[in-house]
Formats: sequence, structure tokens, C-alpha cells
Amino acid sequence: MDNNKICHKLDTDELSKKFDKFLEYETPQKMTWCGGCGNYGILNALEYSFVLENIQPNQVLMCFDVGCNGNASDKIRCNTLHGLHGRVISLASGAALANTHMKVVATAGDGATFSEGINHLVHAIRNDYPITFIHHDNQNYGLTTGQASATTKKGFPMNASPDGVLGDPINPVDLVLSLNPSFVARTFSGDIEHMTSTFREALNHKGFSFVEVLQACPTYNKATPQEWYYDRIKYIENLKGYDNTDIWQARKIAADLEKDIYLGVIYKNKNSVDFMSRIESRKTVKTTLVEEVMIYHLDKFLDELS
Amino acid sequence: MKKLAIKITGESGSGLLSTGEILLKAFKCIGYFIHAERDYPSLIKGGSSVFHINVSTERIHCLNKKADIIVALDRMGIVEYADTLKDGGILIHGQERQNSIKDILKGLEERNVKIIYIPARTIAYEKQAGEIMVNMVLLGLLWRILDLNLQILKFEVAKKFETKDKSIDANINCIQAGYDATDISKLTKLAFDIPSDKEDDILIDGNTAIALGAINCGVRAYYAYPMSPSSSILSYLAKKADDTKMIVKQAEDEITAVQMALGSMHMGTRAMTATSGGGFDLMTESISLAGMIETPLVVVIAQRPGPATGLPTWTAQSDLNMAIFSSHGEFPKIVIALSDPVSCYSLIPQAFNLAEEFQVPVLVLSEKTISEALETVPRFKDNTIGINRGLVSTKEDLKNLDSNLRYKFSESGISKRWLPGSSTITYFANGDEHNEDGTITETSKGTRRMAEKRLRKMREISRNIPGPRLYGPDTAEFSFIGFGSTKNVMLDAIVKFKEQNISVNYLHYDFVWPLRTDRVRMLFKTNKNVFLVEGNSLGQLGNLIEYKARVKFHGRLLKYDGRPFYIEDIEAFITRKIEESNTAQNG
Repeated sequence: MDNNKICHKLDTDELSKKFDKFLEYETPQKMTWCGGCGNYGILNALEYSFVLENIQPNQVLMCFDVGCNGNASDKIRCNTLHGLHGRVISLASGAALANTHMKVVATAGDGATFSEGINHLVHAIRNDYPITFIHHDNQNYGLTTGQASATTKKGFPMNASPDGVLGDPINPVDLVLSLNPSFVARTFSGDIEHMTSTFREALNHKGFSFVEVLQACPTYNKATPQEWYYDRIKYIENLKGYDNTDIWQARKIAADLEKDIYLGVIYKNKNSVDFMSRIESRKTVKTTLVEEVMIYHLDKFLDELS
Repeated sequence: MKKLAIKITGESGSGLLSTGEILLKAFKCIGYFIHAERDYPSLIKGGSSVFHINVSTERIHCLNKKADIIVALDRMGIVEYADTLKDGGILIHGQERQNSIKDILKGLEERNVKIIYIPARTIAYEKQAGEIMVNMVLLGLLWRILDLNLQILKFEVAKKFETKDKSIDANINCIQAGYDATDISKLTKLAFDIPSDKEDDILIDGNTAIALGAINCGVRAYYAYPMSPSSSILSYLAKKADDTKMIVKQAEDEITAVQMALGSMHMGTRAMTATSGGGFDLMTESISLAGMIETPLVVVIAQRPGPATGLPTWTAQSDLNMAIFSSHGEFPKIVIALSDPVSCYSLIPQAFNLAEEFQVPVLVLSEKTISEALETVPRFKDNTIGINRGLVSTKEDLKNLDSNLRYKFSESGISKRWLPGSSTITYFANGDEHNEDGTITETSKGTRRMAEKRLRKMREISRNIPGPRLYGPDTAEFSFIGFGSTKNVMLDAIVKFKEQNISVNYLHYDFVWPLRTDRVRMLFKTNKNVFLVEGNSLGQLGNLIEYKARVKFHGRLLKYDGRPFYIEDIEAFITRKIEESNTAQNG
């Protein structure tokens, strides 16, 4: 059986019809990435997803971490917020809680996500903050010219590790799955169709959606170039009987990053409750925090102090 | 007598906190003015601890170092605090085994201290109450000595323990037994005045006032990581969240707390975080981001002595430099220093207005002695300054926007700000240096112009924040300048020295940065002895004033031992200065 047939076709007719909407997301800024960088495809797929989901540019807040992907902060025409290295998940989560009518998307690389700010990822998953998080995993620090990250393969020589990386790599999806997440997907920067459909599903998830993008870095990541991935990627849709609501099946297929690397919405938690829905006192509240800034009277609290 | 300084002393965990709380409520019920604070070590049980309770028939703002009465709940309460009793004061205790403390008791007698002992433990057991109720027996005795209405005390005890109804009777029986325990007719009457009127006061600590200020001015999200002495803001707001519907979230660390606050502020609600010095160190990079993207942010820093862990449960004013000079890069910020519950309540809304109008981070300094000291203050009214958000908000204006307006090189440095989603026009909020529309730039001209635009706001802020305020007469024999909690001790010192025909005035900074110095130069011109009073070892505010106003203080009263300024500290300083000047004249 051909278990590698492409199973996500981009709806090009629909996209053509909405071409003017797509153009709204475009900016005249000069792209500053290397030729062949995975970021081009990721940015395109993201814009396709917004357009196909009928999301207007002013309904999106795109939050960027620092790194190569962060330089897209003026290359997509919507509300953008370009924060600090490693902190984008917390920044985006705070923004999302303030106005739940907005689509909040955060993007960060493997350095930000699994070294500088790994704590934020862990706790954002625990709390199921309502954001889509796109992890650009190119297995190195590109913007600082090719140092090892926590996902670089062990033993490969990198800038600042000339004799090879000493630490064992983290498998991002495996780690995230260990935290009882609500939505976990893996996709690949060389497959725009798959990225687009994955992002669309992530955008429609109510809580924290974690999307790992395996990303080519032609300049610094010689260990796993584009072709390396093409030889290994598989789609869960072609995996007979795969149930993406079963965490153990998910953990089993996520573990392999060497031979059969599975892409798709690997896990969806049927019982997840996003952060806002967990707050008992706000269950009856119809407004968002942004609409609630006004003078509040304190009589009840002052009486307790009298 | 009008004012009484009482200390409840003992081992942490000996029931000192509940004793003090009941006592405060009872005093307040009668109508006394109160200033109270608990000194305690950074551990759960076993260290020595004291609840300072100063009560007066007139408004008071600070603590006495020396007590008129000490109620020692255990041996440690005598050993550790006997020295802090005034000559001729009163020690109330229940220590049966007095052999090991006989030297201390003898020393007290030599200082004319009246020692009143009752076998409190035996009495507590007789009332079928455990040793834990020794505090109630001694409290009853104290009340007898003060000759105050016992019903009021019993009422407050019942209220305190109403959720544990089994223990109410035992507690009240112990209070009564302590009250009746000894014949005190032989003692000299204390003659403690009873207040004639009862004000519509509340009894409140600074952190609660900060929280109420935040609720009042529309703060809708609070994110924090627990750190003394800021933690009770988090717990108070969390307790009230059912009523306020505020999102109150304990974050995984201070960086998260400030990032979430910044994210929420950027999206357009009002959000706050608070921490102490160490936690703020972690937040500084985020302050820099707020400065760069010109998103308003308010952070409360409740100071305690550092460096490092320092003294977690004690007080200091040593993080002023840290606040003013925090974060990398050059950008405008505002630093406000709180001083008492009234200022906590009124300055938090001002901090938010300033942050939003000028699109800058505002750092609000508290101190352990402000955050945790309890004071009777007039019941708060709604803040009258209103909510100024500095936002483009009308439908018409939101239609006529352009991305270039967001960081426009305006004369004042302030550009139009609108909330994401509120207009069809979007903008880039970029932590990288940027052009007027937020697109990234690295050009020489663009870099310089945007830096200048941001810094122009500093000039505008200087013009718009209030300068320091003078307390006391325009000219005085002794003048002081300070910020934060020193105001409290200076207010009491001004009154106290006036009674002795010595004039004292005090120039107080609520708004510390940008530093306005016009009033300082005037003070130096019209007053001959201007001193600095500050709770740190370097004289941080003093150094800035000397540098910016080109003046030289005639002396510095600095305190950096973890304790707040007591009224005695000011008295000793002025007395010394008088002696010095007499010696100089006679010599």
C-alpha cells in the first residue's frame, strides 16, 4: 500500500476566488530569509489559512518571537506583535485572554520554545490558553548563524559545537504529548497543502493548539535538509485505523523522528476545556476584558474593612 | 494619654497574629486611630515575631520603636523584646518558669517597668482550653489594664472565631478569666483617653489598598508570581474574583506574569502585575519591550532588603535606582512611590492613566512597611480622576487611521494608539527598531528619529506629573526630603516637634521619575537645614536630587536595617543636630 500518498489538496479554486483577500495580507517589505528557507512556505500557508477561514487581517493578532521567523513581523499585513526571545507564548496568551474575539497566533523557533522559554510552553499547555502556537523547528539557531538548539541531532558539528552536539535532542511532539495537551499537530515546511490544512484545523481549535513545523534550513542545518524529510515523511491519514483521540497511539507514532516521521493532527483531546471556560466566575459574563475597563464601585469590599 | 504603643510578642505561630487582629478590630470599634505592623521572620514556625499596635485618639502615621506595653505570649516574647519596652512601661506575661528569665525581669524592674504576671497557661487549662489560648487570657488582662469595654472585645473574639463555633466559648471564657485574673487596683491607672468621635474609617493595609485601586480603575486581569511582600495583592484579588470577575492568575514565574500583563494591555484591557526586587529583575527585559512598542504597562514593586534573597519579610527603600534605571536601552518611563494606604488607592489609577496617555511603562514602588502595615484611614471614595486611556476610540476617528500614525514622529513624542481589532487599519508593534508604521528599520536616520521621538515623551511627562509636595511650614528650622514610607514618620514628627516649638517641614515625592527639582531648589533657598531621609544606604534619591538640582544636603538620615523609620529615629537625628549646632555656637 502506498502509505505516502498526498492527502491534502489545496483548494486552489477557492483561493483564486479570494485572491484579493490574500493580497490584503501581503506587504511590500523585502523578504530577508535565505533562498530555500522554510519560512516562505510557512508564511504563505498561514496566509492561505486565514483567507480560507475568512479571517480578516484586523481580526488576527500575530505574535512573533525573536529569530528568523520573527523577522516576518512586518511581512504579513495584520496586527502583529514582535516580542522578546523565548517569551511569545506568554505574551500571546495574555493578549488572547483580553479579547477572545480575536484570533491570536504565536510563532517561535526551536531555540525560543525548547531552550529560552520552555517553561512557558509547559504551562500554556497545562492552562490551555486560547492561542495557536506554531513551532518553527529548523533544528538550529539560524539568526545567530547556526548554533545547536535543543532539537539538533546529537553528534552533528555546529557553530559553537565544532566537535558535535553533546546533548540528546528533544522530540517536541513527544514532549508536548506528555503534558496532556488539547491539540497537537506536526507538519512540514515543504508541504504547503498539508501546512494549510493543519493550520486551518488548529485555528478552529478552542484552546491551545500546538503545531510543530519541521522546517528546512538550507544554510545551517546540513543534518536534515529538505530531501532528508521527503524520504521520511508519512501522513497519519494513510495509517490504517489511526485514532487521533487516543493519546497512546499518538505517543507511539510521535516517537519516531528517524525512519517514519508522521505528519497530521496527531492528537485531539476530547475532554479538553480551554482556560476561559475553566473560570467559574466568568461563565455568565458575555463581554471580553477589553470591553470591561470602567470604574468599579467598592462598597462591598469597603464594608468588610469598616 | 493620647497615644499608646503596644507590642504583642512571641514565637511565630504562637497565636500572635489572631491576637493582634482581634485587638485591632476592638480598638477600631471604639474609635481609635491605628497604625500597626507585624515584624516576622521568613519561616513558618519558630522565629521571634512582634505585632506592633500603635493606637491614638489622633490620626497617626508611623510606629514607635519603644513600647508602652508588651504582651509576651511566651518566653521568646520576653527574651527577644524586653529591651524595646520603655522605662516605666508595662510587661504582661504568663511565664511560670521565671528562673531562666530572672535577669531580664530584674533589668526591667530597674527600669521601673511594671511586670504583671498571671499563670495564663493554668488558667487556660482551667477553662478547658488548650495552651494555644494563653493569648486570649493575656488579651483579657491587657483589656483590663486599659480599662476598656469588655463587651467590645468579646464581640470581636466571637466574630473572629464564628466559623469555628466550638472554640468561641473557650476563647471568650479565657478572655474573661484573664480580665478577672488579678487585682490590678494597686497599679497606677494608665489614663488612656477614649476617643470622643468615631470617624467613618476603614482599617486597611497598603496591598489591599493597591488591589482596591486596581479594581476601581478597571484593571481586569492580574498576573503574578508570589513574592513577599507583594503576595497579598494576589491573594486578595483572587479572593474577590468571584465578585469582580477579574481574571486573577498565578503565573509560572515573573517573566510570564509581566508578559501576560503586557499582552493583555496591548490587546486593550487594563492588566497589572506585582512583585518584589528579585522578581522585578526578571521582568526588566519586558519593561524594555513595553518601552519599545509603546504599550502601556503598570508594575508594582514591593521593596524588601536585598541583594539576592536578602530579608524577605522586612522593609527597604533600596530599589529606587533599580526601578529608575531598569532595563536595557533608552526609553521613557515613570516611577511612582507609594507611601500609605490612601496613596496606594489613589496612585494606582493615576499610574494606569499615565501609562496609557503616554504609552510608557509605569513602575510603582511600595515597601514592606507600606504593603503590610495596617492603618485607619477615611473610607475610600471612587477615584475622581476618571479613566483616561489616550486611545483613538470614536468610530469616525477609527475610520480615518493610517498605519503610519501608530509611531508617528509627533512633536510631543506621543502617537495615536488604537486597539487591535478596533479598526480595519492594522499596525506592526515591533520590538525591533522601526519606522512610523512599525516596519523594521536599521537605517541611521530612522534609528535616530525614532529614539528621539520616544524620548520626547519624557519632556512631556515631566510637564504633566505633579512635583513634590511640601508638608509643614514653608520655612522651618529642620527640613527633610524623601519618598515612600518616610512621609509617614515625617508627618508625625512635624506634629511632635511643633509641640516642642521646633519647626520641621518635609518635601515628599510621590512621582519620583522623571525627577522634578524646581521645588527642591526653592526649598534650599528658603530653608537653612535641608536633610535627606531615606531607607537605603546610598541615599539613592538624594544622589539624584544633588546631581539634577545642583544642591548639597546638609546631612543624611539613612536607615538600612530592614526596619521602617520609627518616630524615635527622627527625634534622635534632630536632637543630635541641635546639640551639634549648640556645640558649634559655644565652641
